[in-house]
Amino acid sequence: MTVRDPVCGMEIEPQSAFANREHMGQTFYFCSQSCVDQFDKDPHHFVMTSATTGFNPERTLTRIELPVADLPFYKPVPNLEAGLRALEGVHQVTTNAGAGVLQVEYDSKKVKVPQMAEVVRASGFQLGGTNIKIGIESLRCASCVKFIEDELKSTDGVLSATVNLATQEASVDYLPQKATLAQLNTAIEEWGYKPRAATSDAPVDKQEEAHAREYRRLMNKFWFATAVSLPVLATAYYQFVPYLNTLSMDTLRVLWGVTALLTLPVMFWSGSDFFTGAWSAFKHRSANMNTLIALGTGAAWLYSTFAIAFPSVFPEGTSEPFYDVVAVVIALVVLGQALELRAKGQSSTAIKKLLGLQAKTARVIRDGKEMDLPVEEVLVGDVIQVRPGEKVPVDGVIVEGSSAVDESMLTGESLPVSKKQGDEVIGATLNKTGAFKFRATKVGKDTALAQIVKMVQDAQNSKAPIARLADTISGYFVPIVMILAVWTFVIWFVVGPQPQLVYALVTSVTVLIIACPCALGLATPMSLMVGIGKGAEHGILIRSGEALQTARNIQTVVLDKTGTITKGKPELTDTLTTDNGQWTMEDLLRLTASVEKVSEHPLAQAIVDGAQARKIELSEVKDFEAIPGHGVSAKVEGRNILIGNLKLMNREKIALGELEEKSKSLADDGKTPMFIAIDGKAAGIVAVADTVKEDSAEAIKALQGMGIEVVMITGDNRRTAEAIAKKVGVNRVLAEVLPEDKANEVKKLQIENRKSKIQNVVAMVGDGINDAPALAQADVGLAIGTGTDVAIEASDITLIKGSLKGVVTAIEVSRATMTNIYQNLFGAFIYNTLGVPVAMGVLFPFFGLLLSPLIAGAAMAFSSVTVVGNANRLRGFKPKFSAR
Amino acid sequence: MSQIQIFVVFSGIVLTVLIAWYFWFAPKAQMRVAVSASGAQEVAVTVKGGYTPDVIVVQKGRPVRLTFTRQESSACSEKVLFPDFNQNALLPEGEQVTLEFTPEQSGEYGFQCQMGMLRGKLIVE
Repeated sequence: MTVRDPVCGMEIEPQSAFANREHMGQTFYFCSQSCVDQFDKDPHHFVMTSATTGFNPERTLTRIELPVADLPFYKPVPNLEAGLRALEGVHQVTTNAGAGVLQVEYDSKKVKVPQMAEVVRASGFQLGGTNIKIGIESLRCASCVKFIEDELKSTDGVLSATVNLATQEASVDYLPQKATLAQLNTAIEEWGYKPRAATSDAPVDKQEEAHAREYRRLMNKFWFATAVSLPVLATAYYQFVPYLNTLSMDTLRVLWGVTALLTLPVMFWSGSDFFTGAWSAFKHRSANMNTLIALGTGAAWLYSTFAIAFPSVFPEGTSEPFYDVVAVVIALVVLGQALELRAKGQSSTAIKKLLGLQAKTARVIRDGKEMDLPVEEVLVGDVIQVRPGEKVPVDGVIVEGSSAVDESMLTGESLPVSKKQGDEVIGATLNKTGAFKFRATKVGKDTALAQIVKMVQDAQNSKAPIARLADTISGYFVPIVMILAVWTFVIWFVVGPQPQLVYALVTSVTVLIIACPCALGLATPMSLMVGIGKGAEHGILIRSGEALQTARNIQTVVLDKTGTITKGKPELTDTLTTDNGQWTMEDLLRLTASVEKVSEHPLAQAIVDGAQARKIELSEVKDFEAIPGHGVSAKVEGRNILIGNLKLMNREKIALGELEEKSKSLADDGKTPMFIAIDGKAAGIVAVADTVKEDSAEAIKALQGMGIEVVMITGDNRRTAEAIAKKVGVNRVLAEVLPEDKANEVKKLQIENRKSKIQNVVAMVGDGINDAPALAQADVGLAIGTGTDVAIEASDITLIKGSLKGVVTAIEVSRATMTNIYQNLFGAFIYNTLGVPVAMGVLFPFFGLLLSPLIAGAAMAFSSVTVVGNANRLRGFKPKFSAR
Repeated sequence: MSQIQIFVVFSGIVLTVLIAWYFWFAPKAQMRVAVSASGAQEVAVTVKGGYTPDVIVVQKGRPVRLTFTRQESSACSEKVLFPDFNQNALLPEGEQVTLEFTPEQSGEYGFQCQMGMLRGKLIVE
């Protein structure tokens, strides 16, 4: 039997051990003097962290509940229980199928949880629990991997643990009820390593880390290639370098031989990606940027080597090498790739901002104890305490307490929403006034915020139709460039000036190097990524590149009235009394609101709210009676109150006098008037109306200013509709449209003839669910409001903030992004269509102008950097006016 | 024209034909995916300078499960996109990433890296 050296962890035979020590009743064996010395300095430290020894023999049995995910409800699981009992140290196993847990009593000295977990898994069951990845800083020694694993496994509640040396990460399955991240981190720290925050799980961070690593790798390659380039350049242009220009041809040839060898590692280390990439592509019968660079530099190197090895084969003056092309071009292109990576990193800031809304920790109550846990560790079913001023960590339902919550970041509701027991709360929203406890219902990637992030990411990676053109071109691009290079060579060789071979080679290599398919390929996706991210920053969720592209050309915007132009909620607008002055406005409102408080009519709530907003105390109501189709009657403060429409007043034979006329003018304004009679006499009118959002008129004006026709669509009667339309400045109204006909009306607008046969690009703006068919029919469907429900599914663009200004901003984002894409595509296209012919030497016959391959390399490297840089310019986009 | 010039012109013609044939006209190797016991069509794709296999033939109406493993650090291939299915995934180096979706209509659908340098094709029959 072997034992383990507690210092270095080496497995040794006790007999052949270098030394041994007794500590706290146990014997330890050591492999070397240095281990003994370390142990002697602080024996307790090593005993404490020993993974294999539990030194408390008095410890009684431990109980643990193991959640088993797929425990069958209806039948016992004898082999699972027997398997666990067979483990030495397990005393009792009870299955609680209802709760889905196994209760195990065990001797923690003899058996560890991971062993039990192993048995459960071997019996074909899944253990519940969470997986977490913890980064470990500067983990180098392979033997420490085992110690950290053992230490983690011996931590209470850990089911299994593996440490990966390559990624420097520990992956731990554990029961969050038993263990916390802090304990896991302590286990790692015990071995003297520093755990990194468990953020590496977030894809954005992971990507960033990978980018940083790749950037360092590329920069190393660049610096190496640069270092080699300097002497290579000196020997290539020896005529201009002192001392070198005094050397004889033979000495130079030897020097060139040395540079040939020097450039080899540049090609096969600094430029390895080009050659391996070109080869993989070649095997797949495809060609890309790598192919061009590999061919160009490879040809230059082969020619040069051949020229200095067999100078006699070549005509006079053509036996000089081009190693400088090899080294410098590779250095430049690698630098270009590194810079491009840098720039790309900046493009994903929008997602980071969204993720930044997320709370970092949650105050979870488990077993009656409050503990601060990282938000990743919160489980469905956990009860979480939220205090005023704190963020709600995950989605859930309030179980205790009440508060007002600011949900503006996710739903656009600008006023804090009051929440009481049983109400839903959304993660990342801000608790304002009260403290409450809630039960988590959605955690991790299921939360509303996580889904929004996912949606934005998906959209950023989607395709704009315009990119298809670039895709088609780049599919043919590289082979075409190769063919052009071949014919450049042929033509220069056949009809070019002396030395033909040199001209032919240099020009064809330049053609290969200057062509940049990357710029074409990058043009659309980079701008799209920034543009869609920019939208998200302003509360506009654009679902796809296609929606973004179409939004640019919107000619007609159809606005749903209720909930889109208006608040969608009736409000008390007018209180009129009869001219005889018997009742004050306040009296009238008090009596009316008191009655309506009992009523369930939707308009009633508006009156009650109106009274409360004016701080009017309501009185008690007796004998309340609803008269269907007419109104209500009740007794308040000893008076008989009647509230209702004209029909009710006529039925009760109440003379209305001038009130009838006033009610008509209210109705003309799109309001709903109600007559009030007190003790059988007309007393006044209250009117309610769905009021227009404060900034609707401004937004509509802005849309019209952009040359877009604005149309209002509604199921309401024409009079009400016209009144609202006038208020917000809409000229064209489609009123009395049945919900199912809305889609049809949109279709009519699309084919409406406007001198051209191309159909109109029509956008529909609605509040989601009831407008779904119309949203789908429109070229671009914009759902307004809530970012948390089906609205996201139904629309192409979701405006999280309730304001119509979002429509303006969405179109602005679209226009800015598309302009940026056009710039990129145009630039990339022009670059290639000008660059390639110049490289071929079309200017030579006229101006004697030829491009150096070195310049071509620089141009190629920086053309794609320019594209990414131009896309990043979009980050400075600011909407003309921001939505509230 | 000297002999060597004629030779160069002739070589140019041959090379042009070869390039066009090799990259455009030659039939590409296709990988037909078998339907596994679970009913899904599972393919493992290696990402290294390209996608291997890069032409994948699947049946329509059955879920396709593509497991990508990226074996290079070049940032170019860090994402794979299936624009027609609105599917995309970040491919961290050395990790297996699975994409699953069900193609309902037959046809040829491209997949590619973000900037379109690496390309593959999903043929649905």
